[in-house]
Amino acid sequence: MRRSLALDAFAGAVAAFLVLPILAIVPVAFSAGSFVRLPPLAWSLRWWAAFRADPAWLHALLTSLEVAALGGLLAVLTGTAAALGLARLPARARLLATGLFVGPLVAPVIVLAVGLYALARSFGLVGSIAGLVLAHAMLAVPYVALTVGVSLAALDPRLALAASGLGAAPWRIFRTITLPLILPGIAGGAVFAAVTSFDEVVLAIFLSGPAVKTLPVLIWEQVRVEFTPLVTVAATVMIVLAILGAVLGRLLGGERAQ
Amino acid sequence: MTGVVFEGLWKSFGAVEALRPVDLAIASGEFVSLLGPSGSGKTTLLNLCAGYVEPSGGRILIDGRDITGLPPRRRNMGMVFQSYALFPHMDVAGNVAYGLQVRGLAREEIRRRVAASLAQLQLEGLARRPVRALSGGQQQRVALARALVIEPDILLMDEPLGALDRQLRRDVQLEIRRMHVARPRTTLYVTHDQEEALVMSDRIAVMRAGRVVQIGTAQALYAEPADTFVARFLGESNLLPGRVTAIEAGRAVLAGSAGPIVGRAAPGLAVGAAAAALIRPEHVHERTGGLAARVVERVFLGEITALRLALGDGTTLWSRRLGFVSPPAEEVEISWNDGDVVILPEAI
Repeated sequence: MRRSLALDAFAGAVAAFLVLPILAIVPVAFSAGSFVRLPPLAWSLRWWAAFRADPAWLHALLTSLEVAALGGLLAVLTGTAAALGLARLPARARLLATGLFVGPLVAPVIVLAVGLYALARSFGLVGSIAGLVLAHAMLAVPYVALTVGVSLAALDPRLALAASGLGAAPWRIFRTITLPLILPGIAGGAVFAAVTSFDEVVLAIFLSGPAVKTLPVLIWEQVRVEFTPLVTVAATVMIVLAILGAVLGRLLGGERAQ
Repeated sequence: MTGVVFEGLWKSFGAVEALRPVDLAIASGEFVSLLGPSGSGKTTLLNLCAGYVEPSGGRILIDGRDITGLPPRRRNMGMVFQSYALFPHMDVAGNVAYGLQVRGLAREEIRRRVAASLAQLQLEGLARRPVRALSGGQQQRVALARALVIEPDILLMDEPLGALDRQLRRDVQLEIRRMHVARPRTTLYVTHDQEEALVMSDRIAVMRAGRVVQIGTAQALYAEPADTFVARFLGESNLLPGRVTAIEAGRAVLAGSAGPIVGRAAPGLAVGAAAAALIRPEHVHERTGGLAARVVERVFLGEITALRLALGDGTTLWSRRLGFVSPPAEEVEISWNDGDVVILPEAI
């Protein structure tokens, strides 16, 4: 195919527009100054030292990781079970039920947040890890159900028939045939769920408390008080972890394509 | 060793009658092919037997024991799928061992039986190969090994050779036949390929539109087909249409456009009914004083030559002779023996 210089330039501009705001954060984290300024006048690691020194940041990071891990796990268990159940429904019912399951993806997050806040208050879950885990799991279940659903749809139904003909009971078929073959889908969904939770800020703002807040919530609070390069250090940490997650998801997804 | 009996077994999917009530008894150690075009119900019958599909009515008996309600895993049948359905995340040995592991056999026993099974199907050396890395013929053998290693009471095969090329298909047909003769096992084999059915079967059940039209040995079906459908489906055939004018002492007379034809009367034939005279191409001879015919086509097929002949009224017939027939005269005279002709009812 003949390549067009104009098209290349346009594509480059679009890519820059998408990526530059994210990349702009990173140099600021290495600034020596006290204000956010691009490009920084001098370089240093002082804001990284400050980040390390403040237990609030470390605590928020650990909270985020804990919520992402637990929420991801809960989402994987629920979403996988949902996908297995959905796959057994007759076509029309499946369409309807799938619509319900992807509801959280379609509903405005702020609406979910208000509803969850009201519920969490009555259960005393505001400001608790459990509340955040439940909320993030709810948000991530549709992703898991969809990715596992794709794996299940690609599974030859005759494999289960063959196994049952060879004498295997349903649970054994699931353990030895179905599960190993949809595992890449489950793993991909797990990474997606964890990354979703790690990035999530709206629900977290509503459900965080003084003792339990995730990293995005702390960033949000700090920016409102004073916008120092310290915030960009936290943001850079988030970017790196998110990229690692995306790469992991890609690797697992690549295995599925084999 | 075990036989199977289907008693009034039928299945409908919604308004579609996939299988009309079938009564069929398969003897212990017998190899029966279900032969028919797609949609004839042959795979439905196989899936009913395996337990993959629940019947709408009727019973399946094994040694007189009703197994209609049993799930597939309690039937002890070996199934070979058209697509093989090998477990893609296991190697060859893993696939073959699966049914034995499920049965909880000792590790050493499993290893011994898997090795013996691989050897029997000439798969030694491939034990640790992932099944994706195998050729179609090798995959087919693994599927067969996996089904046989559990010593099934009944072996079920659903067009297992469909994906193989012609030469390989022939080899495997003969191989399956030899294995069956060496160690007879009740087998139900689904195919739409008449040659496959002829080569391997003890008996063939010809199916059409959810019905078993006729069941019998290959020779019986070839010599005495029940109707024109069976005649067309097995072997090459000349079918000359007409009406039955007389039936007497097992012989019938058919009035057609080429003149009256006499032959054996098939069961169910009625005077005045639409029928056809079946004359196999190998029974059409050249003979002085016979019917005048014109050669319109000559096809050399290797060991035989097929000639298409046009009679005076425009009816065409195929004639097959051994060997190479040098370009014959345009005009020939042909005949056949009345004893080789069967008058058949038209298929409904």
